[in-house]
Amino acid sequence: MFDRKIAIATRIAREIRRDHRSVALIIGAPIIVMSLIGFSFQDQKPILNQAAPALIATMAMFFVFVLTGISFLRERSQGTLERLLSTAVTRSDLLVGYLAGFLVFALVQSIIILIYTLFVVGVDYSGQLWDIIVILLIVTITSVSMGIFVSTFARNEFQVVQFIPLLIAPQIFLSGVILPTSQLPGYFQGVSGALPLTYANRALRDIMLRGSSLADVSTEILVLGAFAVGMLIAAASTVRKT
Amino acid sequence: MQLLLGVGSREISSAVAIKDLTFSYGDREVLRGVDLNIPSGSTFGVLGANGAGKTTLVKILIGQLKPDAGTVSILAKQPGSELADSVGYMPQLNALYEALSVRENLDFFARMQGLSDKSIRRNAVEVAMDTVGLRDRADSIITELSGGMRQRVSLGAALVHEPDVLLLDEPTVGLDPELRASFWDRFKEMTASGRTILISSHTMDDAAHCDTLGFMRGGQFIATGTPEELRASTGDDSASLEDAFLFLSKGGDADV
Repeated sequence: MFDRKIAIATRIAREIRRDHRSVALIIGAPIIVMSLIGFSFQDQKPILNQAAPALIATMAMFFVFVLTGISFLRERSQGTLERLLSTAVTRSDLLVGYLAGFLVFALVQSIIILIYTLFVVGVDYSGQLWDIIVILLIVTITSVSMGIFVSTFARNEFQVVQFIPLLIAPQIFLSGVILPTSQLPGYFQGVSGALPLTYANRALRDIMLRGSSLADVSTEILVLGAFAVGMLIAAASTVRKT
Repeated sequence: MQLLLGVGSREISSAVAIKDLTFSYGDREVLRGVDLNIPSGSTFGVLGANGAGKTTLVKILIGQLKPDAGTVSILAKQPGSELADSVGYMPQLNALYEALSVRENLDFFARMQGLSDKSIRRNAVEVAMDTVGLRDRADSIITELSGGMRQRVSLGAALVHEPDVLLLDEPTVGLDPELRASFWDRFKEMTASGRTILISSHTMDDAAHCDTLGFMRGGQFIATGTPEELRASTGDDSASLEDAFLFLSKGGDADV
């Protein structure tokens, strides 16, 4: 029952591992971006501390989305998805396999971002490290599913990249990364409430700045979980199996 | 006009049976009333120009597209997941994972076909590599292989689970004559062991090797029969299959 799922997950992991330049970029790119932000705000530690939780969540969502979107698009364009769909593989095999395969890399990436931001850039935090990782895990599941879903609407890698300003940029502006959501105009506050990153930011801020536990941010976790499930269903509906 | 010269009218157990199949992409009708019976243990060639409807027909047979009308059955079952283990499909694109080796690709597709037992799978992969003559390149990464070798891996991936029916979409395109001949040797071995093969192609080199052929044009078979029957239909003893195709195509024009 799990054999096909495990096979897909290990295949993805193997493919990424063999692509040394991509592995270097998966690790290097977020570190460079966080260094730029972190060290340019070194003299304004309170601002950096305030912004860090949202930045960590945003970076996790952004990089994972691009990675999954392009990988799944490649699966479609090189014809392997068509070949897979001619076998007895099911949608759930594909989705769970993909999720598991990318989750490992996405989590490694998220944890690198987190550790680097906390211990190298030196952002202050309270709360449990594990609690932060749980939130990042849910963000990652949402982002992997979003990547698979979006790959349906893109014909090539350029088009996947064009989805960044459409799907990621509004989340950065409206989820409280730059400006607290309470300071947004009324109509944008409504939009903000419909964005997964808003809840990830809120949960991470509560944990990292106020030392909240997972139980304290259970509402945010529930909403984030609903986004993850919704995106998974949307992704499943686009992996056509006739 | 449709000439039914051979297999279409025979009453033999069919591995593939299609009746009055119609399919459209939006307003564009791609298949129009296709009838076909392929006996078990034979090779049927779907011959036609690009855009004739060959790939659409194959996609309906693997269950990826649903017919608008008509019936399609393989081994007396409808195309889809239930049949997947009995059918092997080689798409037009090589459709391989380029970062993986020959062995890893075949192992992966064998696993997708339900060969979950490791030792059975290992054996199946070895047999497939032998069949396509790539055992000495087992650990080569796909990007290190030539185009012809990649096509051999792609064929290996289609037959690794030893399916009863093979659906091959233009498997010999771009192959040099030597490799094309070796592909046909493999196909003949397979039909001799009872397997049924449907091959789509637009080259008459392939046509001569098939047990029976269907000339496809404008989404329908304008003629089906053995290569000899189709050649004879021109009334010229020295006619080639290409001559027969052109002759029958013109006849089709006259009727349209």
